[in-house]
Amino acid sequence: MLHIDHVIGDRSEPAMHKRLHHLEHHGTVDVVTIPLADMARHRLRIVTPAGEDLAIALPRDEKLFDGAVLLIDDARAIVVRAEVERWLRLQPATIADAIELGYHAGNLHWRVRFDGECLLVALEGPADAYYARLEGLLADRTIETTIVTGDLAA
Amino acid sequence: MLELSSRKVSGASQASAARIGVGGPVGSGKTALIERLIPVLRGRGVDLAVVTNDLVTKEDAERLRRSGLIDPARVLAVEAGACPHTVIREDPTLNMAAGDDLEASFPGLELIIFESGGDNLASTFSLDLVDWWMFVIDVAGGDDIPRKKGPGVLKSDLLVVNKTDLAPYVGVDLEGMLTEANAVRAGKPVLATNARRGEGVEAVADMICRAVLFHA
Repeated sequence: MLHIDHVIGDRSEPAMHKRLHHLEHHGTVDVVTIPLADMARHRLRIVTPAGEDLAIALPRDEKLFDGAVLLIDDARAIVVRAEVERWLRLQPATIADAIELGYHAGNLHWRVRFDGECLLVALEGPADAYYARLEGLLADRTIETTIVTGDLAA
Repeated sequence: MLELSSRKVSGASQASAARIGVGGPVGSGKTALIERLIPVLRGRGVDLAVVTNDLVTKEDAERLRRSGLIDPARVLAVEAGACPHTVIREDPTLNMAAGDDLEASFPGLELIIFESGGDNLASTFSLDLVDWWMFVIDVAGGDDIPRKKGPGVLKSDLLVVNKTDLAPYVGVDLEGMLTEANAVRAGKPVLATNARRGEGVEAVADMICRAVLFHA
């Protein structure tokens, strides 16, 4: 078990990027993909693709992020890749539909973002489960729905 | 150049205590399960404390303080004053502060258990507050609870089905209930307990120790 008690750095930092680039040539950068549901945790166990059993315990004021470097030395590195976040983009045609949609999203405690006239709902499970909750609303209204990934949702 | 910024260890970090949540409907046996977990975890050498949540009283905290299972100073109470989920999810500040107070009072603390007030099946914990959480339901609440797929049932790290001894008296097919619970949770663990008699509690403790205390 490898205990990680803090994030060393960000892979996008120039100096870190250079060191990682060097290790990548030797195939020794172990990129561990962390499910979205686990990214907010301060403690978790996860096994990397190279088979390292990580026991991550971060201080309360630190969080994981995409590109977080958990370990680096002359021989290898371990870097976090955050699972791509998916969002359900809902575009109501009328103000009345928008109000009702907002009411439902709040009542269901969904995590949302706003993009102009669209409501973006973070998908933390199968999209069908979200459609099912909106069945009555979607059946007889004009609400356009699309699923987008994190970058497009920004 | 050698810059090993992490280390091989077999135990938990000393940086801060692990924090876990225990949620579930009113009367499902959350406090009873904690009463059973305390001696089991302490028996494994875990240095722990508890934060209870009640609506407008300190009932659960007083119960634990009187139990003789734990130093009363290691039990703090948060009064939600509103729906219990508001202080474990929407704004867990009061609970986070209680956890910080316990860590300041008891250096070396390894585990803090946050017990939610009894709530409904939509109750979940913020990961700003806890690192891992379980949801406790009981057979007397009805064997249709797993089928109802509430967020507490689906999203918790561990689902506990408590009061297994009552199944024959309330017309519940326990095996069927557990099968459905496993089906809706898609691989996430489900454990059956009878907290009153301590059955299944060691298995719950095993999961806590592995998930957040990093015992092998």
